Amino acid sequence: MPHKYREKTIIPTIMGGYPRPPWFAEYLKKLEGSQKENLKEISEEIEQRAINDILDEQKKAGIELFADGQLTWQDFLCHLCTKIEGFKMTGLTRYFDNNAYYRVPVVASKLELKDNMISDEFELAYKTQPQTKAVLSCYSIAELSKNEFYNNKEEVVMDIASIINGEAKSLVKKGAKYIQLDEPSLLQADKNDLEIAKEAIKKIVRGVDAKFFLATYYGDASNIFPEILDFNVDVIGLDFVEGYEKNLELLKEYKTKKEIQAGIVDGRTTKMEKREDVKNKINNILDCCDADTFFLSPNTGLELLPYVKASEKLMNMCDCFRGEKYD
Amino acid sequence: MTKKLLPTTIVGSYPKPKWLNKMIKDHKYGGVSDKVLEQSYTDSIKTVVKEQELAGIDILWDGEMRRDEMTSYFADHIDGFKIYGDVRVWGNNYYRKPAIVDKLKYRDELTIPEYKYLKTITSKGIKVPITGPYTIVDWSFNEFYSKKDEAIYELAEVINKELKALVRAGADYIQIDDPAIPTHPEELEIAKNSIEIATRGIKAYTGIHICYGDYSKIYPDILEFNTDQFDFEFANKNFCDVEVFKKYDYTKDIGFGCLDVHTRRVENVEEIKKNIRRAFEIVEPKKVYVDPDCGVKLLPSDIAFAKLKNMCLAADEVRDEIR
Repeated sequence: MPHKYREKTIIPTIMGGYPRPPWFAEYLKKLEGSQKENLKEISEEIEQRAINDILDEQKKAGIELFADGQLTWQDFLCHLCTKIEGFKMTGLTRYFDNNAYYRVPVVASKLELKDNMISDEFELAYKTQPQTKAVLSCYSIAELSKNEFYNNKEEVVMDIASIINGEAKSLVKKGAKYIQLDEPSLLQADKNDLEIAKEAIKKIVRGVDAKFFLATYYGDASNIFPEILDFNVDVIGLDFVEGYEKNLELLKEYKTKKEIQAGIVDGRTTKMEKREDVKNKINNILDCCDADTFFLSPNTGLELLPYVKASEKLMNMCDCFRGEKYD
Repeated sequence: MTKKLLPTTIVGSYPKPKWLNKMIKDHKYGGVSDKVLEQSYTDSIKTVVKEQELAGIDILWDGEMRRDEMTSYFADHIDGFKIYGDVRVWGNNYYRKPAIVDKLKYRDELTIPEYKYLKTITSKGIKVPITGPYTIVDWSFNEFYSKKDEAIYELAEVINKELKALVRAGADYIQIDDPAIPTHPEELEIAKNSIEIATRGIKAYTGIHICYGDYSKIYPDILEFNTDQFDFEFANKNFCDVEVFKKYDYTKDIGFGCLDVHTRRVENVEEIKKNIRRAFEIVEPKKVYVDPDCGVKLLPSDIAFAKLKNMCLAADEVRDEIR
């Protein structure tokens, strides 16, 4: 049942990542060990149970647009590279400013889709919860990798875009109505990179009948405004934790009809926000939004929180927005 | 402390004997008493101390047998921390990430019992490693303090209290482990202040261990830190950081990481000798401490031993050659 607040439909959602249920973490540890080479086939039944667990946590918290939690991903967004022929995974390096690491993907030959990327796990989530958002990435995974094959960045990004376009089509065949492109690296893009990313997104959405989200986080979006408003997506995700004031100014300055997904609570700390503060923030953001629909989420994935704190974070966020309760 | 030229040392951790891990696990599920676990700790400390002595290490530690991890061990013993559960570091590796939920206050002795026991079983030099306040806070959630630096400075006071008592107990060589420092170069001033507070009034030789970061972002600024020595990893990045430190006049002693702890390959003596000599491009030999890049706990224990033994043989030969 959609919530109306200030005459807008408010949809609470999550970014994508969710901590593994502790029993599933144990299962993977036993199955795969802690080295980086020997990834093994995960039983579908067990994966389904893990996904159901975290969908249930999201539902209890009040989430209405769900995600499968990326529970089997070992390398954050670069997990997608493990599903692309031509990438080889190398040494560990820090993932943005987190105390967490990913294997750096190296482009060693022409990039081609190896097998389905995420549509299997999406399907498991979709069976339980049809309102599930699928999460992919393009520009950022090119930025997080090293290119040793193509002539330039543009070629890498565009070939990844074709692959992501194919994956988006299979997701839609499996029922996907919402597809989010996570692009944290875009926040550091220069004007030329923005042009590349824009073309890439054109390619990704071509022939795909779904609502597209472009999500940015780990900072404010001043580098990519106003260009981002012309990107071929329906929803723009902005970080209102680490970039609150700047992002608010940008929305004020450049009016947009696009829908906004506001990252409103800090997905990287166990500290729970004061509801009053969150509500004030939401009201300030809504003042600058024209679209009828408004998405609320943590600013980042929740995968770096302890399991028990992820649902508490979501519940706290969902309780804040419920206009009926607080108006 | 040893006055020897090119003293050999370890960074801190050593592989836990497999049987100790089993005892810790069984104890957790109630199958082993506190007393038996305690005996297992002291037995394993004797074992790894003996191994270090046999390898030829001059300044050693107890291998961190009692510590599960470098952040949570301390958080478990300081008031104000709470641990909600595991947080992923990468792949299937997790750590018990602490959260600061209240004012940080000194509660338990952190390193003193380890030090006192070690002193009864070895006549070698002893280095006491303790995780720095900057790194502990950076690797914890902060729910209590309105600003990160407040938490860091408060924790630095706690560490200072511990170090004072540790020195009173006889310790003469302290190593502050602060690998988080290079991850936020913009907070270098805070890190520096935290070391200042932690080491205030401490009459002992101190070092700061920093690994796995981009040293060029913090050097030469770190030379302003109140410490006698810095301990860096060099082998992991194939000694390319030597150039970074050569750019400016390096004014401290150096702990020179000359063994790669992330490969099971045992470096031979000739190779390690060459590695050690790279240190002399930065400072004169009397300012060099020879050690591995980082703690060796992730290696199988026979490989850790073989590497350390070759390292000590290499140091012996270099010492003879330059005398």
